[in-house]
Amino acid sequence: MPRLLSFAVFVATWWIASLLAGDAKLPPPPAVLAAAITEARSGALFLNLGVTLARVALAFTLAMTLGAAIGYMMGRARLANRLGDPWLILLLNLPALVVIVLAYIWAGLTEVAAIAAIAINKLPNAVVTLREGTRALDAALDEMATVFAWSRWKTFRHVILPQLAPYIAAAARSGLSLVWKIVLVAELLGRPNGVGFEIGVAFQLFDIPLLLAYSLSFTAIVLVIESLLVQPFEARASRWRPRAA
Amino acid sequence: MRLEVEITSKTFRSAAGEQHDVLAGIAFALEAGEVGVFVGPSGCGKSTMLRIIAGLDPDYRGHVSRPAGARIGMVFQEPRLLPWRSVENNVRLAAPQADEARLSDLFAILELDAHRNHFPGELSLGLARRVALARAFAIEPDFLILDEPLASLDDALAAHLRDQIALLVDRRCVTTLLVTHDIDEAVRLGDRLFLLSPRPTRIRAELPIRTQRRSRGEAEIAAIKADIARRISGDRTAPDA
Repeated sequence: MPRLLSFAVFVATWWIASLLAGDAKLPPPPAVLAAAITEARSGALFLNLGVTLARVALAFTLAMTLGAAIGYMMGRARLANRLGDPWLILLLNLPALVVIVLAYIWAGLTEVAAIAAIAINKLPNAVVTLREGTRALDAALDEMATVFAWSRWKTFRHVILPQLAPYIAAAARSGLSLVWKIVLVAELLGRPNGVGFEIGVAFQLFDIPLLLAYSLSFTAIVLVIESLLVQPFEARASRWRPRAA
Repeated sequence: MRLEVEITSKTFRSAAGEQHDVLAGIAFALEAGEVGVFVGPSGCGKSTMLRIIAGLDPDYRGHVSRPAGARIGMVFQEPRLLPWRSVENNVRLAAPQADEARLSDLFAILELDAHRNHFPGELSLGLARRVALARAFAIEPDFLILDEPLASLDDALAAHLRDQIALLVDRRCVTTLLVTHDIDEAVRLGDRLFLLSPRPTRIRAELPIRTQRRSRGEAEIAAIKADIARRISGDRTAPDA
């Protein structure tokens, strides 16, 4: 219910703003909806959304898996942290645009280049979050597992992973939004399809309803992923915690 | 199984870089099924000693011999349960080979039946301590290490839990190491008492109790306690005399 209300407020604000700014700059909601429906009828909307979503999923999985592994290692071993830290700072401060452009120059305008570039942009973010999570691990529970002679896998599964879960959820949440912002740039610069490419076309034609139709459709999908996947995972992982407000 | 311990020294380096001698001379042996109790002032390095014996701290001089593959059950000073697993799963995870009959038996003795599905965060300290005891006993340990398992519980509850520990230890005839600062607890549970000095800690007296745990009368317990109290205060006043 509160969600529906905040959605209504959003649409109302948009409509009022469009009345004040004029149709040319900000088309009202029905115009954007009409553009979305036209694109959906031709099938282009679903094709482009699907392609972009696939790129997001691949790059996100790649970056999260690698980032979590590297972050865990850097949190556990001081040597790994010493070796990895300069790279991490470099990657954290490297503009997304530079990575994308270099990837396209070195690997050509290919799918691999696009996905690798997006993953590299997200990677340091996951590493930093998981490193913090690993540093906060409870040594007392590790000792308990050692005394009771638990196997490495058992310790990881029942002692380490539950402690890292909130950090994984945080990295996933911020990562998803980051990846989706960067994927559009990568598509705009060097892919022949996807939401980013369509937005580039709309920009050149000054077709604002089309531009908004694509961005809002994708935002809706991200919202669905967040509330159907990320939030339930978080709720399940933290169900043992005494309930906070 | 027999346990032999000889720790000649253990030092700590503080954050300021100073060196502290914690343990200076700890040598003892426990026969299979014996309950050894260590009594000493708080802060004398008892927990450090237990960590070494449990194999958690390899940085010391001396040696600890326990048969290879011996199963260790330990109750730490804090319960150290997994907050994200229910009471029952905390015990089951540690003891996957335990069958339902043994678990219900344990839960019944420790009066945890009603709390099987609770999370540790929902338990009082006394209850959490009992879960830690259940976990240690569920694995049917060859050695049991108890680090002040009854500290900061009220007297009635501590007495009750003490009887439950005695019951479980006698049943399985398990070699046990117990650390406490409560002389009454020591005399009621132990077969062999070790009195520890302040830091750097050494064993300053070893007192075997010949009578069986169950057949110790109040008079005998009082006599042993008086003996211990005399030894402790005797040592304290000795330098002044």
